[in-house]
Amino acid sequence: MMVMKMLMMRITLLCLALPCLANTCTTARDPARISVAGGSLTEILYRLGAEKQIVAVDSTSNYPPEASKLPSIGYIRNISAEGILSLYPTLILGEDDIGPPAVLAQVHAMGIDIEILTEEHSAQGIIDKIRCIGSIIGESGKANELIKQFMLPRIDELNILTKKGRLANKKILFILSLQAGSPIVGGTGTSAGGLIRMTGSSNAMADVAGWKATSTEAIISAAPDFIVISRRGLNTFGELDEMRLHPALRFTPAAKAGNIVVMDGMQMLGFGPRTLDAAVTLSRRFSSTKP
Amino acid sequence: MVNLSDEKTVSISGVSLSVRIGRQSLLDNVSLNVKEGEILSIIGPNGAGKSTLVATLAGDMTPSNGTISYDNRDLTELSIQDRAMIRSVMAQSQPVAFDFSVQDIIKMGWVRGSDIESTSRYATALACIVEDCSIAHLLHRKFNTLSGGEHRRVHFARALVQLWRPETCSSRGYLLLDEPVANLDLAHEIRLLKQVRSLADQGVGVLLVLHDLNIAAKFSDKIAILQAGRLACIGSPGDVLTAERLTRIFQIPISVDTHSLSISYY
Amino acid sequence: MRVIAHKAAKVKNLSANQTLTLISLLVFAVAIATLACASGSFDISLWAIVQGQASALENNVFMQIRVPRVLLSGFVGASLGLSGAALQGLFRNPLADPGLIGVSAGAALGAAIVIVLGSRFGVGATLGAFLLPMAAISGAALVILLLYILTSGFGYQGVTYMLLVGIAVNALASVGIGILTYISSDSELRGLTFWTMGSFGGVTWALLVPALLLITAALLAMVPAARALDLLQLGEIEASRLGIDVGRLRYRVIFAAAVAVGASVSLSGMIGFVGLVIPHLVRIVGGVHHCYLLPGSAMAGAGLMIAADLIARTVIQPAELPVGLITSAIGSPFFLWLIFRMKKL
Repeated sequence: MMVMKMLMMRITLLCLALPCLANTCTTARDPARISVAGGSLTEILYRLGAEKQIVAVDSTSNYPPEASKLPSIGYIRNISAEGILSLYPTLILGEDDIGPPAVLAQVHAMGIDIEILTEEHSAQGIIDKIRCIGSIIGESGKANELIKQFMLPRIDELNILTKKGRLANKKILFILSLQAGSPIVGGTGTSAGGLIRMTGSSNAMADVAGWKATSTEAIISAAPDFIVISRRGLNTFGELDEMRLHPALRFTPAAKAGNIVVMDGMQMLGFGPRTLDAAVTLSRRFSSTKP
Repeated sequence: MVNLSDEKTVSISGVSLSVRIGRQSLLDNVSLNVKEGEILSIIGPNGAGKSTLVATLAGDMTPSNGTISYDNRDLTELSIQDRAMIRSVMAQSQPVAFDFSVQDIIKMGWVRGSDIESTSRYATALACIVEDCSIAHLLHRKFNTLSGGEHRRVHFARALVQLWRPETCSSRGYLLLDEPVANLDLAHEIRLLKQVRSLADQGVGVLLVLHDLNIAAKFSDKIAILQAGRLACIGSPGDVLTAERLTRIFQIPISVDTHSLSISYY
Repeated sequence: MRVIAHKAAKVKNLSANQTLTLISLLVFAVAIATLACASGSFDISLWAIVQGQASALENNVFMQIRVPRVLLSGFVGASLGLSGAALQGLFRNPLADPGLIGVSAGAALGAAIVIVLGSRFGVGATLGAFLLPMAAISGAALVILLLYILTSGFGYQGVTYMLLVGIAVNALASVGIGILTYISSDSELRGLTFWTMGSFGGVTWALLVPALLLITAALLAMVPAARALDLLQLGEIEASRLGIDVGRLRYRVIFAAAVAVGASVSLSGMIGFVGLVIPHLVRIVGGVHHCYLLPGSAMAGAGLMIAADLIARTVIQPAELPVGLITSAIGSPFFLWLIFRMKKL
């Protein structure tokens, strides 16, 4: 009984201490064995040459392809406490949708450091993320090098492409997938919204908050110039032509002109280094005057 | 109505039961009593209120006025458990949701506990009653696989188990039977009624609803005729069963041989 | 063994076969619980724990992650199995399952309201932890009461009717959850998905202990109703003629089942079909008497739920499957088979 009481007290204390899980960007006590939850974090660790320290990844970590050969801790929002612990990590790095919170509390109670990186859907957010991971694993030098060599040139390029709001009049519709006949679109506050902002264009669905199923009429009246969709999302429509002729989309300027851009979903929405490439590619595409 | 204070009876006095829809009265000022050791048969046309009378006596429904008493105790003062000890009811059968065996159904009538002592008493009761009702061959069958007549016989056995008094190794109390012989073949009908007779001889007070006037004439000590919720007449079979009265109530020509008390209506 | 069984049978109205089955079920539940405590993606030697030679991490994983999880799954299984058996008895309907007839959905809706609206109106974490099971229990109780009112006139014949009402109640609850999903923020949404999927992960002693007490109390309240539930199968009027206070029985079963299901759902989310499958299996093995069926369903429910969770957390380790997926995968074909069999009868 006494043991039980002590246990309960300890757990209560730990639960109260949960806010300390927030990101501090300070060097971890021991980054030797890292369990990662979040595709962008895995990508950054690889780019920093820290891939040998990764002991497990979540199911969104599919880039670089060899990352998916690592043991999987499952879906980022539904990780298993014992599953993670069985790999004896010394550090857990997670994007901010890692969960469930109760499982994190359990793992933290076992004395494992957890660093959760808050997500900011902008170019600066990506830079900050790289810098933060660099300092957590004690590789700030490499992180700065990566930023200087690869990230800043992309940002410069983006700035040129979007100079003077050249693309601001382009309306972009981001579709995640087709669910029960309705396209799920990215509105304000979503990663897709952030990506569109990075390309210097405007979100055709700015009136919508979050990811929402949208009606045909709302899409037609939004009149997007371009439609952006992930490869997996395209599969829910079928072939590109089927998507172009889908009743919800066929009357949009984008579908009429064939302005549908298909790209890897994690590259666009993961907000790792690759997302800058995606933004550049999209910006270029939006500024090209394709017939 | 005066209750004879020493005598053990179930009596109802001035019981009325009205149904709100259309202010229709199901029972209207009915008074009667059944003494221990006595068989009272209720006869009457369809819809006269016979089943309602049984249900009201059993305590399923509360009369809008009048009182019901068992052994001079008002029914409303008896708890649900006490009622189960003093009277048992055999109703028209209905299906049982799960696959209970005949044995299980009969045992449901045992309202006297499940400690070791009562369990051995139950064994005695069961042996006697199964013998009397000749249902030994049915005991291990599933209740839901039996025929309508077999259902009745099992329910009858259950009603007897409920009235079993371990102290005297016989049944005691009041038995309310609503058309107990429906679905029974001739042999089983007579056997069951003879059993009812011998229960009455042991001291059980019996009230039963019957359709067959000849059977009622043969096996009853008293007969009551219900008509449109009212008690038309109550008394000994010889007094009640007259050709003139039966013809009036059942509205077909009925003749009665007063000597052998046999009734013909075709 | 035989002698004990015989003696127990005499007092408890159990046949020797039923007593042996109950003992076997208990042994099975304890054995599977031991196995579940000994296995998992984290490699722990049970023997080392017993001898006190395990490392601090091993001890912690065992005591704070695995044991609470096994206990929770066992108790949730027991409460769903027993509630299913008791509700089937009360409704005189072999298809009454807390999930199927919408009781779990009612509990989930109660929980969802607290998750989404609670954070809006600034309900603190401590109060929230207390409010959540209460809301789930109230949701479950409301649904059972509604069902009882809607189906009482139909009795045994109302099997189809009850399922239709269940579909409607499930739909209503999912509309409620759907609306809450729509207005919820991202983090609230994550909480919601957890509740609708069902999982035993992340349970702590602080949440577990009160729920276990509630569930135990509910289970203990239901078991003595065994004989009354037997008699109820003759019909409500017949049961009351045999000395059963049907009104009190009704509220006892409804309230206890609501507490058991509500407390379970508030900790583990919706887990389907357990309440349907378990009582039927137990009946097939040892008979329909509630004095056997109720404890038997609790034990079998505990054992099978622990086994289902063991599969859920080891089959694709270190990741895990939602346990509701496994119970539904077993339960839905069984449900079809039951309907098929009822049609033949």
